[in-house]
Amino acid sequence: MRKILAALLIGAAAAAGAGAAMAQDGPLRIEIDQGVIEPLPYAVPDFVPETPVAAEYAAQIARVIAADLSGTGLFREVPASAHISKITGFDNPVKYADWKAVNAQALVTGAVSVNGNQLTVRFRGHDVFAEKELGTGLQFNGTTDGWRRMAHKVADAIYSRITGESGYFDSRVVYVSESGPKNDRRKRLAVMDYDGANVQYLTNSASIVLAPRFSPTGDRVLYTSYESGFPQIHVLDVGQVQRKVLSSGDGTMSFAPRFAPDGRTIVYSQTQGGNTDLFSMDINTGAKTRLTSAPSIETAPSFSPDGSQIVFESDRSGSQQLYVMPAGGGEARRISFGQGRYGTPVWSPRGDMIAFTKQNKGRFHIGVMRTDGSEERLLTASFLDEGPTWAPNGRVIMFTRESQGSAGRALLYSVDITGRNLKPVKTPDGASDPAWSPLQN
Amino acid sequence: MGWVVFGAWFPSEPLPSNVQQVALISSEQFEKLSQQREAPQVAPEPAPLNEPAEVQPAPEPAPQPDPEPEITRPEPVKPAEPDPQVTELPEPQPEPEVPIELPSAAEEPDVASLVPQLRPETAPRPVDRVAPEPVAPPEPDTKIDDIVQPEVAPEEGAETEQDVQEATAREAANDRIVTEENEGEDVAASAAPAVSKRPKTRPARPQPEPQVTEAAQPAEPAETQQADAADAVADALAEALAGGADVEAPEPSGPPLTLGEKDALRVEVSRCWNVGSLSTDALKTTVVVSVSLSQDGTPDTGSIRMLSSTGGSSTAAKQAYEAARRAIIRCGSSGFQLPPEKYSQWRDIEMTFNPERMRIK
Repeated sequence: MRKILAALLIGAAAAAGAGAAMAQDGPLRIEIDQGVIEPLPYAVPDFVPETPVAAEYAAQIARVIAADLSGTGLFREVPASAHISKITGFDNPVKYADWKAVNAQALVTGAVSVNGNQLTVRFRGHDVFAEKELGTGLQFNGTTDGWRRMAHKVADAIYSRITGESGYFDSRVVYVSESGPKNDRRKRLAVMDYDGANVQYLTNSASIVLAPRFSPTGDRVLYTSYESGFPQIHVLDVGQVQRKVLSSGDGTMSFAPRFAPDGRTIVYSQTQGGNTDLFSMDINTGAKTRLTSAPSIETAPSFSPDGSQIVFESDRSGSQQLYVMPAGGGEARRISFGQGRYGTPVWSPRGDMIAFTKQNKGRFHIGVMRTDGSEERLLTASFLDEGPTWAPNGRVIMFTRESQGSAGRALLYSVDITGRNLKPVKTPDGASDPAWSPLQN
Repeated sequence: MGWVVFGAWFPSEPLPSNVQQVALISSEQFEKLSQQREAPQVAPEPAPLNEPAEVQPAPEPAPQPDPEPEITRPEPVKPAEPDPQVTELPEPQPEPEVPIELPSAAEEPDVASLVPQLRPETAPRPVDRVAPEPVAPPEPDTKIDDIVQPEVAPEEGAETEQDVQEATAREAANDRIVTEENEGEDVAASAAPAVSKRPKTRPARPQPEPQVTEAAQPAEPAETQQADAADAVADALAEALAGGADVEAPEPSGPPLTLGEKDALRVEVSRCWNVGSLSTDALKTTVVVSVSLSQDGTPDTGSIRMLSSTGGSSTAAKQAYEAARRAIIRCGSSGFQLPPEKYSQWRDIEMTFNPERMRIK
């Protein structure tokens, strides 16, 4: 009898415990740890022209903004044909219900006015479902020639307000333009907007040029030229198109240059007596410092954004791998340990990742890893992918992809660091060796 | 005890939802709006306005490749003058628009949950959407619409004629990010279901009332619905002005939600929680958001606020909160499926949005 009673008591206690556990104290609490990853639908109706001449810009600016946002793969435009209400005045109230009905979660409205060659663009972003503005409205003034840049600036602001990352649309890319057949390819330096617009050539095609790199302020470009027969490093002022040779012509080969974040020092490779090592040079004084002295090949150096470290490739272990060392030289730490060969490392402008080219089992990949070599992730796979460069916000990578065969040509591609949104970048000719500029001022 | 243990396996039935859009702008929201407008005074950067204008004419003689000079520096940002004017605008506008919103907010067809899910037969291909449940690509000629429409079939014996309408196809989705590198992996995986079949619900007991209301609703002709909606808005407005919602809140006691009911709510919200456009920093940020629901299960947008955040900067927390808020508003627009008799249990909800598992997709 006592046992039965005890059992009953235990049962009752258990029931009470369960009841207490289920009883709710305060508001209902739930945890959401699953969601979706999909492009966020947004709408950019044509901007409102406030002066007669502004009409042509108003529509075009809206199109460039849409191309920028949709091009990231993070957003999807709700086409104009689906819009229910029209934006007829910049200051008119937005009928949020109309935009909710077409599931546009973000809305960009704007107005354009032209006075002589002066262009003024005003815009606002709206969070449709919260029925409020995203941040405050902004205004940009410029000239009509610069209308694309102004559109990119608007898109940057919207992108940044929604994602929380800085934008990258108002930026440029310097690259090697390639024309002609594979066995007689003509190469010259070209610079363009990040989206392939406004291409301008910086050199003629008389000699081979390689690996252009922007300075931290985007006003100068370092590159390697075979003009003298040997590879030599040149620096070119993008605005003035003036250039000068940096490395001395003492029979050594200098290549793979890159600016330090201070813009005054460069780091590069130099081959002397069959051995390739890393050096740094003060651009103004020409003073050189040797950074490595191993009998192996050290090349492709790239600074961390704080200027304290350099990542580079070396075959000192027998195969080509990635190493990190202090910016002034010193002991290097190997960071790549996977199968295959690793090369052309580039430190992300955010400092948290390193992009690289990997060759394994006859295929090339563009990949990213943490700066200690962990969390390696390959983003692409093809016959030949190489030479990654980071967008100024560290979210997108551009690189060269060369197709197979005698008719094969090099083109530029971009990919998000998640591996999504892989797509070609529009260039008038073949293109290789891209280098992304910082965001323009 | 039995109820405690098994309750979770028997999801409650969908409730009749009175689609009633509460597009009220609370005083807090209004305050927020007006506060934001004051902020712009702080000009982000002192704009070197004059510089570019002067620089421009000069470089023209420069040689042909001359990218920089032509580009004027758009001046950073002045607070747009129009802002102050806007303050009054948003308020009056929304109400008349509400009826238009109603049809679009129709519930998403939610069929897949009882069907065992197989991995897609073909290799995973990169698609735009990553969701907990993979969805095979629709037929090639399917149009994916931004407006999700439920299927409408002619109903036998209905008095009014209805336009036949196809349900909007669900957009193709993978359950992880497929890159060029890992495309085609796992193809050899067996045809075994990736997710086990859920137990079927118990055969329906005779439950007269709810069925009737549910059936009646879709059969209503569109025009009537719109007219009704206008009335409903007026009623809702009157009710809200009278402060009715709070006063007549049901008794605070009563049975708590079952695990199944909580799960259903979690699934509903997660379907709209889109982390695709969040920064990597925001993807490391967990936010706790509180929301009050009205009796029809729709969230009171003015009540949504962030209680706390962990793991990221304040900017990241803001983005993470905004994504969470969008999820609550979008998926709650036609009312969350919650048992009305337990309203006191779910009137106030704290939702924790933890993106950790989404980060490693």
